[in-house]
Amino acid sequence: MNDEQLNDLFKTARDAKADTSRAEYGFETRLLARIRAGRESASIFGWAWRLSPYFAGIVAALGTWAYCSPAQIDLQAIATNGADDLQVVEFFTGDKI
Amino acid sequence: MTDEALIQSTLNGDDHAFAELVTRHKGKVFGIASRFADGSHQLDDMAQEIFVRAWRNLRKFRGDAPFEHWLSRIAVHTCYDFLRKKQRTPDSVPLDERDGEIPANTGSRASEARERLDFAMRKLSPEERLVITLTALEEKSVSEVAALTGWSEANVKVRNFRARQALKKILETSHE
Repeated sequence: MNDEQLNDLFKTARDAKADTSRAEYGFETRLLARIRAGRESASIFGWAWRLSPYFAGIVAALGTWAYCSPAQIDLQAIATNGADDLQVVEFFTGDKI
Repeated sequence: MTDEALIQSTLNGDDHAFAELVTRHKGKVFGIASRFADGSHQLDDMAQEIFVRAWRNLRKFRGDAPFEHWLSRIAVHTCYDFLRKKQRTPDSVPLDERDGEIPANTGSRASEARERLDFAMRKLSPEERLVITLTALEEKSVSEVAALTGWSEANVKVRNFRARQALKKILETSHE
């Protein structure tokens, strides 16, 4: 195929304009629905992102509290001091035996 | 109401202004996208993606060129991204799930030529397909293609030459 034949093919093909009228029908409605959906999910994500330092703070506080709580120190003390079973039962039940 | 006024209203949160902008320019956008889309479903996806990108970047529109030119640039880049994505995942959609061809509203000779070209152009690389579509089918000049794609004029010329050579070879072998 030479350049002239290729140019002729292009020239003929240029006349074949696609009929996009069916695809264009109701396009604005579909597009705005997509934009609004994207906007809503973006706003939810934005809120979650803005609140993330607070969540991180809560997690850190809970971790610190769990690590330093007296209950855990007592449990460690009981376990390391070779306390007897009664003390362990007292600790877990809260009853004085 | 001018395009600039509609853009300003859209930026102030008026969705109807953007819908009006879409109504004005969707013909042009569908025209560009139809050169690259494989079916009417993909055409709709492409057109939506073009306008969503335009909506997201509306604040970057400076107004030193007509809105249509700015939108055309987004359309060309979006179509190019679709072509590259399609190349990475060829035939990812099963044949029975593909939707129909986009109908042409002209004579059978033109439709046949277009079908023949479409078949051959699917075998080109995304760069080649883009440059040949813009120069030969959309009849854009080298400088216009350079402005639309962001490539240098020399690059456009080289890619166009290579694309034509590749296309001729494909058409010759498919004709045998």
